[in-house]
Amino acid sequence: MQIAIASGKGGVGKSSVAASLIYLLKDGYSLIAVDADADAPNLHLLFGVERWEEKREIIGAKIAKINSETCIKCGICAERCPYDCIKLVDGVYKVNELTCEGCGVCKLVCPVEGVITLEEVRSGIIQKTTTKYGFPLISAQLDVGRPNSGKLVTEEKEWAKRIMKEEGIEHMIVDSAAGIGCQVIASLGGADVAILVAEPTPASLSDVKRVYKVVQHFREPAYLIINKADLNPEFKGLYEFAEEEGIPIIGEIPYDRAVPKSMAMLKPVVEAFPESKASKALREIAEVVKEQILR
Amino acid sequence: MQIAVSGGKGGTGKSTVAVNLAIALRGYFDLALADLDVEAPNDHILLGVELQNEEPVNMFMPRFNYSKCIKCRKCAEVCEENAIITMKDGTPFLMPTLCSGCRACEIVCPVTGAILEGQKLIGHTYITETPYEFSLVTGKLLEGEERAMPIVTAAKRRARSLNKELLLVDTAAGTSNTVSKALEDSKLLIAVTEPTPLGLHDLALILELARLMNIEAWVVINRSDLGEKEGIEKIAQKYNAEIVAEIPYSEAIIRSYVKGEPIVLADSKEAEIFKDLAEKIANYMG
Repeated sequence: MQIAIASGKGGVGKSSVAASLIYLLKDGYSLIAVDADADAPNLHLLFGVERWEEKREIIGAKIAKINSETCIKCGICAERCPYDCIKLVDGVYKVNELTCEGCGVCKLVCPVEGVITLEEVRSGIIQKTTTKYGFPLISAQLDVGRPNSGKLVTEEKEWAKRIMKEEGIEHMIVDSAAGIGCQVIASLGGADVAILVAEPTPASLSDVKRVYKVVQHFREPAYLIINKADLNPEFKGLYEFAEEEGIPIIGEIPYDRAVPKSMAMLKPVVEAFPESKASKALREIAEVVKEQILR
Repeated sequence: MQIAVSGGKGGTGKSTVAVNLAIALRGYFDLALADLDVEAPNDHILLGVELQNEEPVNMFMPRFNYSKCIKCRKCAEVCEENAIITMKDGTPFLMPTLCSGCRACEIVCPVTGAILEGQKLIGHTYITETPYEFSLVTGKLLEGEERAMPIVTAAKRRARSLNKELLLVDTAAGTSNTVSKALEDSKLLIAVTEPTPLGLHDLALILELARLMNIEAWVVINRSDLGEKEGIEKIAQKYNAEIVAEIPYSEAIIRSYVKGEPIVLADSKEAEIFKDLAEKIANYMG
């Protein structure tokens, strides 16, 4: 089974919830963890990973380059770039390599053959390790300023699937990125179930509603976890949303300083502070996940 | 002039810093705030305003006029996204989810009128008047659409068209090219982080991006009493980025955040932090 954990908004505690759930499920179930937040991966930090067993470079991003020697400075490329990435700098036209999408329009409209080329560059790396807890973890890191991180996530999931086959692993738990863009779509695509994490704030509600629309697009059943649930007792928006959409709330985790403390210790809170309020709530959630989702 | 607020990791308080700074900076500049976190735009929620003046962002999508198409396959060959497939006889078909709207196919098509203008709505931009004497420009990607870049580009163009003395941009999390697009042309980057190993990891990435883009970077430590600051200080020093403010964990900030009432307007010690930072920015920007 493939479970994707998503939130829309960043910082609501998606990764810390994911790390704790993975920690609690690892003993009874064979699983592989995938950190699909290629922009800011952090599951490896929460599992205290110190070294990677295998790294793969992912080449695939394309970047346009202008040969300033042969360029006739007509400026058509700059005019036609859909994303305003080409500028005249000190008398020469230059592609901003950190914003280029690699679409190749500049190359096509350039009147002089060979002035503009598309070069393949590295988009990032994906890497694998076996955590000290025994289960494998796949993580990714997008290179700074590169496009199309969704591709990295797709590669990660392919790798995870091969490992599952080879090692007879049953479940994949994917911690997806914030937002609703290509990385999140790649994370949710092919999942059997989505677990959404939200906090009781208007901003988090707005974003979790957006990611739920993407989940609906994939026709996946969704469950909701309310994190920092006691932060804002007057706020009923998350309950109303869950009721309207028929999304089961599988747990509420109170705000607990043990969570940030455990992060600083590079451990899931359920391991670092098993008796804390948050850990108790997380253990109850893990039981619900076992009974209702993993069965 | 442009300043950006970013931070690498999600949830560190970028938007909180951006909206409070915008309010604090209005005394110094005629400004606009642009929310370029198009996948999860929240500045309007923090400011307690409803989005206004909606404009669609449409993406070009080729429509094939099969009566004119000569089945030369050039459109498919040139498509970097492999969004155009051809049948055995060369008849092209579009896979709309893969299309990035770049128009390469239209440009190479040798027959006038064989590729027609089709459009697909992928998001919106907004200009919202706030009660705080500045306009908020927001980009919002439609749910289910993958491509954030055209929305960021459109929102930035719309923000620029306001011709304000200062544009303050709030970026998405991470360091992908949509974040670079948001940062582009900034004189200063305010990197918001928290003193945790996760915050540290992502701070290094955003400061690296600032370095590559030749943007001066300052660091704001949010929830500064949460962990150890030594790591942050080391990274900041390595990138020559000054730590300009520390915001301790604050119930008052959380309450203001929940209510959509920016903390900088309250008579509080948190408000002073933002006012001091605004003054420092105003002095730097001249």
